[in-house]
Amino acid sequence: MRLRLIGIVVSVVAITAFARPVSGQALPRTADGKPDLSGIWQAVNTANWNILAHTAEKDIPAGLGVVEGDEIPYQPWAAAKQKENFTNRATADPESKCFLPGVPRIMYMPYPFQIFQTPAHIAMTFEYVHAVRRIFMNSPHPEGEVEWYMGDSRGHWEGDTLVVDVVDFTDQTWLDRSGNFHSASLHVIERYTPVSANHVNYEVTIEDPKVFTRPWKMSMPLYRRLDKGMRILENECYAFGFEHTWLKPPQ
Amino acid sequence: MRASIVFAVVAVLVVSSPRATGAQDRGAQRPAAPAGAYAPARTSDGQPDIQGVWNPIGTFYNIQDLEFQARYQNFRDDPSRRGKSLIIDPPDGKIPYQPWALAKSNEVLQHHADPTPQYLDPNARCFMQGVPRHLNNREFEIFQPPGYVVVFNMAHHTYRSIPLNGGPHIPDRIKLWMGDSRGRWEGNSLVVDVTNNNDQPWLDVVGSFHSDAMRVTERFVPINADTIEYTAVITDPKVYTRPWTLKLTFTRNKDYGSELYEEACLEGNEQTLELMLTRPRQ
Repeated sequence: MRLRLIGIVVSVVAITAFARPVSGQALPRTADGKPDLSGIWQAVNTANWNILAHTAEKDIPAGLGVVEGDEIPYQPWAAAKQKENFTNRATADPESKCFLPGVPRIMYMPYPFQIFQTPAHIAMTFEYVHAVRRIFMNSPHPEGEVEWYMGDSRGHWEGDTLVVDVVDFTDQTWLDRSGNFHSASLHVIERYTPVSANHVNYEVTIEDPKVFTRPWKMSMPLYRRLDKGMRILENECYAFGFEHTWLKPPQ
Repeated sequence: MRASIVFAVVAVLVVSSPRATGAQDRGAQRPAAPAGAYAPARTSDGQPDIQGVWNPIGTFYNIQDLEFQARYQNFRDDPSRRGKSLIIDPPDGKIPYQPWALAKSNEVLQHHADPTPQYLDPNARCFMQGVPRHLNNREFEIFQPPGYVVVFNMAHHTYRSIPLNGGPHIPDRIKLWMGDSRGRWEGNSLVVDVTNNNDQPWLDVVGSFHSDAMRVTERFVPINADTIEYTAVITDPKVYTRPWTLKLTFTRNKDYGSELYEEACLEGNEQTLELMLTRPRQ
């Protein structure tokens, strides 16, 4: 009986310890015991202007940057290409055309997104241009030549961390408004680690042997939007200015 | 020893399942289906499970006249599957426009086959299709995570989330392409109230339209494992003389498995769109 009780106590203590993050506040969990990431989230930083550290300019807030070591290991030709992109950014940035922004850029654009979580499938729906990410769990990437703006995402859990592997990109998306870019060979590995009920550490590893000399990392917190009645609205960027106005009722 | 392990596991399950009681409560509240009616399986949070990929039977070309499209395209319609109009009320199958609105709609109808930008279907510009048209295009997926019904459209990478928590609509000042949806299950039927619609999407290619006062009450009724009957009661006192009802039938699409593809619309049509949008007005 004593042995049995010890067994129970040990098990319960182990579970309790496992369930409590550093802050001491219990993480919300789904019925299958995974951290529950459901809800509305947003990055609060200036990475969409420039993922590297930068001083403020007119209409651009300053930022500490989100790149580990504050350096992107471009190959020489790619470093020159980034400079050219920067010069032409007002029209060359895919965001200026309202295109789907790709991954990871969509994750740190200044708009909220919602996570819907089930054991087999996690969906992310974004306010910006109604972008969608579908993360299918424990399943392989599709076979064949696939080029998608948002890539193909496959996820699995490593303890309390959601790990998402993303491939099958186009070369049509950038990483920010400062001309930082990648090729269609981009491979993104995302790690979502809940730190408390209301914030997640988001870490991204970028691999692209056609553009960079080595893999490199970004990291930032994602915060839960706690605003009263919070919901995802719309930002149909490409419709602005093209709305029809002639079907109005008579005044 | 085995007994103690079992006991420990049970104890841990109890400790780590604070939601078990809540799940039982929800189960107890499930309304019984009428005898003989189709009763879908339930999701983990007790919703009737209508998940999967679906296709509408119908056409979004001219919702008031399903044979109309054959005049412009090599379109083999099959009225036996659909009837002559998607509108089941009023009985004549016509949208009950106010006189000024009928004149506007007819103007588009006359120009739709050779449109200048003001007569161009917003859908052709890759704009959001709105409610109910996003369900009357091509394949869409219904996903039911806890507390929500989410609809994903492959065309235009549109989505629409329908919370089931009984919360209020957003402030009336906000107008959205896809509207603000609030849903609830009545037995096995999903009932959704859609407000905050903007006046931009058309209901079909030929300019059937509504204003930003439109309100839609939808019913998704699963009648067997592979068929959903859908009705939308549409009210808009600025444009119509009375509420009217659109009816669609959704059939399960078994071709896509469980995964839709990305279909970037604007991104692939940039030059075409520029030509359309810069064309001089007549």
